[in-house]
Amino acid sequence: MKTGSFMALAASMTVAASAFGLNLGDKAPSTTVKMKNVDGSEVSIADVAGKGGTLVIFSCNHCPFVKAWQDRIAAIGNAAKTKGVGVIVINSNDPASYPEDSFTEMQARAKQLGFTFPYVVDATSDVARSFDATRTPEAFLFDKDGKLVYHGAIDDSQKADQVSKHFLQDAVDAVTSGKDVPVKETKFVGCGIKYRAKT
Amino acid sequence: MVGILWCVGVLFVSCGRTSHVRVEDVHVTPVTAADVQRLVREPGARAVLVNMWATWCAPCREEFPGLVRVARKYQGQGLKVILVSADDDKDMAQIKKFLADEGVDFPAYIKAEKDQPFIDGLDQRWTGALPATFLYDGNGKLRDFWEGEAAFNVFEQKVVEVLGKQSKPTGGNS
Repeated sequence: MKTGSFMALAASMTVAASAFGLNLGDKAPSTTVKMKNVDGSEVSIADVAGKGGTLVIFSCNHCPFVKAWQDRIAAIGNAAKTKGVGVIVINSNDPASYPEDSFTEMQARAKQLGFTFPYVVDATSDVARSFDATRTPEAFLFDKDGKLVYHGAIDDSQKADQVSKHFLQDAVDAVTSGKDVPVKETKFVGCGIKYRAKT
Repeated sequence: MVGILWCVGVLFVSCGRTSHVRVEDVHVTPVTAADVQRLVREPGARAVLVNMWATWCAPCREEFPGLVRVARKYQGQGLKVILVSADDDKDMAQIKKFLADEGVDFPAYIKAEKDQPFIDGLDQRWTGALPATFLYDGNGKLRDFWEGEAAFNVFEQKVVEVLGKQSKPTGGNS
């Protein structure tokens, strides 16, 4: 971060009372922005929105936390899709900073993990900015009415054998069964998203 | 001739760092957020900078030399720097090597608590993104916080501001 952007960030943090850019109940921003999917198609959040809800996860390839959680992301995403929840995983990182986050590497990762949902490139990082997504893997779950009902971690531990709280899975289960999401906001340590420079 | 080249090499490497630190001399202690808060409030410091980082985090690595430089420059004036790694503890060898390479000859730490309580225990505003920096005054009051990398001059400006607002130097212990 250069001094200028540091000052801007510091100023915004002084003003912001919440760590979360989107508030519970908010609608998803940037829903019509087309993003390149690993299959070559152009996909927006609106395109994938499900009748039962929509799950948006900001992720990437290089991040060790993503690597720790990626099997669980694939399992939850694939299962959610079968329950009528639209799923999209968005990579907003600048691959100039992380070559492992390049499009071809994304294609390989999606295939390796068996994603049945889009894994797309946020080519300007503006979708992440609009969500105020700051790190990966960061999940946003919207209900059937498009309102944010869960924001945060996949679960409570990077280490699969130490998970005791399945935040995202529980939220998906609640949304698809018409119940209240039990834990609505969680925090986790993740890789900071390396936004592309503003054009 | 070989000896001369070796000496030149050693000199060159030494000049590129603030000090030479051996991996076996690097100490990394597991901490919870409560431990960090206790460390922040230990007497002796006039400013305490807590930095959350990880070996695999590119912006963390980029800002690290500036962090170490500000630690060295101001530790004699009451600055204490607490470096807390968010790496997996199985990567301890890698953590120690990185710290040694960066010339960290003061105690370092590794997060040993689940994310939510650790984040909330430091500051509610922290989203969990790395790197993250917390700057406290000598009374343990959080004076500044930011996510994302910063350059040496930013660290210095912030630290000097906190140091300058306290009239009674009590000495640093970094």
